[in-house]
Amino acid sequence: MNWSLIGELIRLRYKLMWAKTRSRNGRIALFVIGYLVFLMVMLVLAFGGIGAGIAAIQSGRAQQVTEIVLSALFVNAVFATVIVGFGLSAAFSNTELRRYPLSARERFVARHFLGIVDPFWFFILALELGLAFGLFAWGSFPLWSGIPAALLLTVCSYLVAQSLSVWIDRLLARESGYAIVILLIVLVAMSPGITAAILRGNHAAVAKIFAVLWFTPPFGAAAAMTRGGSEMFLGFAIVIVWLVALLFTLAALERRPLAARKTVRTEGVEWDSRLDRIARVFGPRLAPLIGFWLRFYCRNSRFRVLYFLSLPMAAFLAFSISQPRRGGGSLFVGVFGAMSIVAFLGTARIAVNQYGYAGGALRRFFLFPTDPAASLRAGSYTALLFGAAWIPVAAIVWTIFAPRPLDAGMLLMPALNAVAVLFLFHGFALWTSLYSPKRGNYYKSFGNDLSLAGNVALIGTMLTCILLPQLLHKIAPWVLEPRNWWLSLAADALGLCFYLISLRAATALFPQRREALVAAIEGKS
Amino acid sequence: MTSSTNAIRISHLAKHYDGAVAVADLSLAVPKGSMFGFLGPNGSGKSTTIGCLTGLLDPTGGSIEILGEKLTPDSVTLKRRMGVMPETLGLFDPLYAHEFLAFVARMYGLSEAETRQRVTGLLAALELTDTRKTLGKYSSGMRKRVAFAAAVIHSPEVLFLDEPFESIDPGGVAAMKQWLRRFTEQGRTVFITSHVLETVERLCDRVAIITKPGKLVWESDLRALAEGGVLEHEGATFKSVEALFLHLTGEKYADLDWM
Repeated sequence: MNWSLIGELIRLRYKLMWAKTRSRNGRIALFVIGYLVFLMVMLVLAFGGIGAGIAAIQSGRAQQVTEIVLSALFVNAVFATVIVGFGLSAAFSNTELRRYPLSARERFVARHFLGIVDPFWFFILALELGLAFGLFAWGSFPLWSGIPAALLLTVCSYLVAQSLSVWIDRLLARESGYAIVILLIVLVAMSPGITAAILRGNHAAVAKIFAVLWFTPPFGAAAAMTRGGSEMFLGFAIVIVWLVALLFTLAALERRPLAARKTVRTEGVEWDSRLDRIARVFGPRLAPLIGFWLRFYCRNSRFRVLYFLSLPMAAFLAFSISQPRRGGGSLFVGVFGAMSIVAFLGTARIAVNQYGYAGGALRRFFLFPTDPAASLRAGSYTALLFGAAWIPVAAIVWTIFAPRPLDAGMLLMPALNAVAVLFLFHGFALWTSLYSPKRGNYYKSFGNDLSLAGNVALIGTMLTCILLPQLLHKIAPWVLEPRNWWLSLAADALGLCFYLISLRAATALFPQRREALVAAIEGKS
Repeated sequence: MTSSTNAIRISHLAKHYDGAVAVADLSLAVPKGSMFGFLGPNGSGKSTTIGCLTGLLDPTGGSIEILGEKLTPDSVTLKRRMGVMPETLGLFDPLYAHEFLAFVARMYGLSEAETRQRVTGLLAALELTDTRKTLGKYSSGMRKRVAFAAAVIHSPEVLFLDEPFESIDPGGVAAMKQWLRRFTEQGRTVFITSHVLETVERLCDRVAIITKPGKLVWESDLRALAEGGVLEHEGATFKSVEALFLHLTGEKYADLDWM
């Protein structure tokens, strides 16, 4: 194994990350991320891992609490990776590594070494180590077994996340892939609720499930951390067996050739497609640009998956956050927030970084004999169009599942609120596209390739949609009463104003920002 | 030469980036109907100059006139008369070739019927008949052909081509050269940057050579060379553009003893 070259590649990866901080935006991002990570690590170590360790000891059920904490971390790490895209940037692809004198096995090791040294996995490791330290400090559980167990479990989480994403990537390359992936995600999202309902009061089934779970990596790691003698060694053995199996699975999945994505066209040139006809509604000046952006969105695999997934995801969210046992409000309160997410989730990634996926083609917009900002306007209108199309569908779904009697206010309010969020989000998206662009890979199915501001806009809006209705439900419940539906109409007016002002200002600033945009997107800044 | 006989007139053009000088003080006139070669070593400011000439970059100083009209960020009508093939090609990878060309044509204001006719013609002429592949799946030579087609689809009066011949096969280059000659015969102007000096020598009737940072060191007619003559610079004579280029740009070859 050529470890010296693999070491050099890891150094190069961090040099490249450091190089990004040389720009003004990079320095700001570094400062904010550094500050947040510092705060989070402190909080996590103080209240998270160590706190969990203390709780485990104080409850007198150290193993069970450790099993639950490690399982939650494991599942969250895998979900954050596969769904949100954290910690999946391999830095160098297999093709890129082919230029170095590395064998196929060495390239595999190099890529995954580079992948696991991503700051995200250090964060997961910090949480698990925090738990091991908590168990050691308050419960006298040995560190010599706690630290390796945490390390092995982090590697296991990484391998599960990688295997899953490689498998989904292979699946998406097939014709039926999208439908299968969407179905799987919906099933996974709904399974906790369904499982909880089935298992309620059924102790025998719970015991059977726990017996099976004992053979999973988090439970194995928990045994390694909290048990002694043969049980500890069995715990280690379980994690190691998983690790080896996952390594072989990942290698086998990567060896399988990616099926050539089926091209849409099978015969001659199509001149007047459905997308062109939709675009024509916007008038002759904007029609070519709208037609372009419609194609740009529709041919993006990640957009297609997220767009069609946004409705079932929002339904799950609405159901989940309205559970009274979790301190949530009624289903109406859940739907009030979740329906808004439908309005922007699918388009969000491209909307907050409109030119980030166009690459060098961005120059083209400045060469055309039109106002260059027309492309920004057209891109934004297209995202609005896609988002707005989901709102009536979501409203229909709500009318079907809403508790009876259903009055007009209960139907109107979430829909109107979704329209307000649609405008607000796309207003913010114009600013992030202009002032915080980041070069992204249009064809990549996984990974978080948004800038800091882009992530703040996306995650911030999602959290606001989830938490604000809950907060209002507690402090000012009258705001969410269906008879006050006109308040959402006021929110619409506010959202529309913000969007129009942003659009006007952003289009005026667009020509001045063109050199900075081109430099950022072509990787020259 | 007066501005009416010049397609492009650059006066004291300067472009600075955060204190770094990309183009220092460039003045140049490109006659109408000429095939103008704009040469220089890597990093000499050729692409920056083209960026300024096509309105992509804002010059730090100086002025640019194209077809007798001053180029400003709002020169929409003027841009309609210009065709550009950028160094990065500027292709939208998710589109099919015909979609991309139709999009460009519509942006330049061509009617739907005219667009279809020209796109069909260009696709056939440039042998871009594989309609099952999006541009992202095209080879680099095919991508260059598409970018060339996009630059000429609206019959511009001035054509800017940044490194047009690299990675295109000899057959394609020959066809492009023929079209470009026909283009200039109609009184249109072509402004080319290229590192293929032999092609420039055969194709261009006028050449300018710049060195870092965007300084003009030589500009002249190449007709003498075509008639068996030589190129002159400060009393010295050169039998080819390549010899003159190497002399002017001071290309040196370091001796790498391990090689």
